[in-house]
Amino acid sequence: MNLPALLDCVSSSSCVVTQVSTGLIIGMLLFLVASGLTLIFGVLGVINFTHGSFYMLGAYFSLTAYRVTGSYFDAVIAGALGVAVFGVVFERLFISPVYNSNVLMQLLVCYAFILILDDVVKIVWGTDFQTMGMPATFALPPIHLFGGFVPPFYVFLTGLTVAAAFSLSVLVNKTRFGKLVRAAAVNRQMLSCLGVNTSLLYAAVFGLGSLLAGAAGALAAPVRSMSPEMGFSILIESFIVTVIGGMGSIIGAFFAAVLVGIIRAFGSIGYPLFTDGLMFAFMALVLLVKPTGLFGRKLA
Amino acid sequence: MKKTSKLGRSRRDFLKSAAATAAFAAVGGLARTARGQSNEPIKIGQPTILSGRVARLGESSRDGAQMAIDAFNAAGGLNGRKLQLVTRDSKGRPDEAARVVRELINTDKCQIILDSEASSAAFAVQEVIRQTGTLCMHACSETTSLTANPKIRAANAFRCARQDIHDSIAGGRYAAQFVKQQGFKRWMICSPDYAYGRDVSALFFHFLKESEPSVEVVSETWPKLFAPDYTENITKILQTKPQALYSALYGGDLVTFIDQGNLYGLFDQLTLFDPNMADYTTLEAVKKLPKGIHSGDRYLSTFPNTKANADWAAEYQKKFNVPPINWSWQNYVGMTFIIEAMKKTGSVDSKALSDAIRGMTIDSPFGVDGKITMRAEDQTIINYAIGWGVIIPNAPYLEDIKPADWNVILELEKDWKKKKGYI
Amino acid sequence: MALSGCLVVIALALTLDNPQFADFVLRLSIFGLYALSLNLLVGYAGLVSFGHAMFFGFGAYAFGLLMQTGLVSIPLAFVVSIAGAAVLAVSVGALCIRLKDIYFGILTLAFQMLLHAVILSWVSLTGGDQGLQGGIPRPPFLGVDLGNPKQFFVLACVFFFGLVLLVRQMVESPFGYSLRMVRDNPERALALGLSVQRYKLAAFVISGTIAANAGVLMSLYVSGAYPNFAYWTLSGDGILMIMLGGMTVFLGPIAGAGIFLMLNGIITRTTEYSGLVMGIVLLCVVLGLRRGVLDFVFERCGPWAVRRLSREG
Repeated sequence: MNLPALLDCVSSSSCVVTQVSTGLIIGMLLFLVASGLTLIFGVLGVINFTHGSFYMLGAYFSLTAYRVTGSYFDAVIAGALGVAVFGVVFERLFISPVYNSNVLMQLLVCYAFILILDDVVKIVWGTDFQTMGMPATFALPPIHLFGGFVPPFYVFLTGLTVAAAFSLSVLVNKTRFGKLVRAAAVNRQMLSCLGVNTSLLYAAVFGLGSLLAGAAGALAAPVRSMSPEMGFSILIESFIVTVIGGMGSIIGAFFAAVLVGIIRAFGSIGYPLFTDGLMFAFMALVLLVKPTGLFGRKLA
Repeated sequence: MKKTSKLGRSRRDFLKSAAATAAFAAVGGLARTARGQSNEPIKIGQPTILSGRVARLGESSRDGAQMAIDAFNAAGGLNGRKLQLVTRDSKGRPDEAARVVRELINTDKCQIILDSEASSAAFAVQEVIRQTGTLCMHACSETTSLTANPKIRAANAFRCARQDIHDSIAGGRYAAQFVKQQGFKRWMICSPDYAYGRDVSALFFHFLKESEPSVEVVSETWPKLFAPDYTENITKILQTKPQALYSALYGGDLVTFIDQGNLYGLFDQLTLFDPNMADYTTLEAVKKLPKGIHSGDRYLSTFPNTKANADWAAEYQKKFNVPPINWSWQNYVGMTFIIEAMKKTGSVDSKALSDAIRGMTIDSPFGVDGKITMRAEDQTIINYAIGWGVIIPNAPYLEDIKPADWNVILELEKDWKKKKGYI
Repeated sequence: MALSGCLVVIALALTLDNPQFADFVLRLSIFGLYALSLNLLVGYAGLVSFGHAMFFGFGAYAFGLLMQTGLVSIPLAFVVSIAGAAVLAVSVGALCIRLKDIYFGILTLAFQMLLHAVILSWVSLTGGDQGLQGGIPRPPFLGVDLGNPKQFFVLACVFFFGLVLLVRQMVESPFGYSLRMVRDNPERALALGLSVQRYKLAAFVISGTIAANAGVLMSLYVSGAYPNFAYWTLSGDGILMIMLGGMTVFLGPIAGAGIFLMLNGIITRTTEYSGLVMGIVLLCVVLGLRRGVLDFVFERCGPWAVRRLSREG
């Protein structure tokens, strides 16, 4: 623990600006991944433990697309859509049979796929770590802001994530699709009796959640090297964010992601060696005080 | 519940019979080995990591060992008996590594263990072979205490790998020269938060400060191993504004750190020292290599700059279609020691081989002056090539290499061991 | 019956003198105990814990650290580590049982990861990610020398069968039946005057302590303790074992542990793509056997069949 350093930082405006912006950047990337996980849990009641592996697939799909087309834009589209399609197929074939089983069954199906996908990636893309490299558009020097630095690529990612968060909340709260999704989360049988094809709806939601994971993997590809099992740490991070924010709550995930980002940014100064433990302690505390998380509603 | 227990019993019976069958099969195997002693292959068990993020460790270790074995077998083997490598995945977990080694020895009847595990599993392997007495060559663990600490060392276990302490003395000395020239005193650490990262960073600064006491470590940041995001570490470094940065990051983590650091223009503002940059896989993965990184050699076909080394790298590349890396040469040399000992003793007995390997010097392209020695006192290799230089973006990647002086390394190592109470 | 089983296994192992078979039996007793203790919680009390490895890891580390001081004998170190695990289980359990369903599971996971983070960062005590090194000393006690593999094997077998019998007695006792009622119908249990929370806590503590026993055995077996003993992958493996073997049969978890160990052994011996093969086998078991297991469970009114029935009917 290094409290003097933390106090020094808090009393200096440039340090505060840099660390807060750092926290925001970390948080935005976290949200992008965690939003899919929380969306799927909120509607389907399934904790998709393969979420980290979907992130990994998104990154690798985009890598291949980038090598073929040379366009980062195409690569992101390929990563997001590819994983969305994969997610729908996965949901239909493997998750839908265990909706009504207990949570352990779902857990095992997901666990099996974590193992399988890691080896598939190893077979297709090799064991060596791989990198995409920064697309020329973003290879710019960092912007100076209040004595701190902010890279243009992160500005782009942050903007995109805020846009995604906004459209997601509009989609869930303002559209017919959103109404159905919310209804399905409360009572699937009733919705089904009213003539809605809930299987299709479930597949769509699962696809959307997978799309977000794939997009996150693809978007971060230029700055994160890829290797089999890369989904592991991503899964843990997004799981923490989801739990703290309230499982099933998009808004909650957003705020939790920013919160975790800020804690990590300042924690790296104050508690450089125990940031992980700090996260889990915080998660336990939230669960004890409010089991449904900061923004979670009591599920039916 | 009566029904339940009946079912339970039948399961147990099944288990028992299955176990008994397995046991009989194993006994049968034993009989076979005894019968065909004269031309049965000599099996060498290799526990390693073949899955996950560091699967490359297992692949390059297997390739390196296989290359030495193929050459020996092509030349007729040991009085007609061929060597056979049995490589098995432990996923890097210490308890699984212990199980795999037991299985290799007991079931597969491996007579020699070539341990290609990373450090924590290597310590678990050490405990197993201490009990079984099997000859063991650790070919990947760089943690000094494995052989330096007399409590952990075993008479039948050797290490054929770089050692933290050697690399750190060489690095510390090299950095001291640099500090003298440039006058950089403000240093910072950014190393992975686990035993290797912590040990090697502490040793580096121990030896740097020994020759340049004015050097000050102003701050530290410890990213997790395999962390996807280094933003908080990078901004902390930017806040601290050190003149030089020491990092023990390697492989994919190092590449990610450099890519993300580039976004902030980090490397325009300081000089980076990393012992692990000069590794072909890493160098090829970094798309925009910053200028002026100082690195130790991991494995380079141009250092030592001899024909033997270049030929070896070319042959390896031809055989496996990938360039050799650090683990390739270490396993190759480890296997060479075992083979030379077999040739010398004409035996596969653990005791005889151990006695032969202890203190042995072999010809090797990776040694200073073409020779590597297995030091008798602590059963670890010395005189392998160590040098530091400056990274350039294209082959040969490392230039102005300053070879380390092994006399200095050995002397400082001895002092350090005395301080630690190892001798 | 159990006694004769115990004797048969010991006799078989000693006469065969096959180290591989002995190794398997030892590992089976470690992981069998571990899975059995987890099932006490998941199967009998209906509390799905994702953090069970916390106690396994605690037992291994506490015992290893005590023995490495060189000041205590094996029985004393054993008793102290188990008592420590019980204290840990009481404190963690008291907090966790306040939550229901999945939230209970996640909270146990959070505590387990907290312990894991402590093990990793408290390097001076635990050796961090390198684990406890230099072996665990085994001074002889009461004429027993655990440094002798045969004696260790016999003791481990006796220990294993003894604990299994104990657990068996427990689940067949009034306590065990009360636990089942707490799981299936907490309202009714409450109406009958049972303190639901107290029963849950008791199950949590007993289960945690038995897992710590398995951890102690493991630390003796590998002569060390490693952070992955307290990592969530081991908690996951425990769940895998009880699901493979079956939660409603008393010996199911032990059979599951055996299947898991054999599968793992066969797969790592035969293929480099162990994850791929293991994953496919798992899928076949989960999705293929699902109907069979479900039928089985319906027949026997297992824990989640009842929940399912009550939800649909």
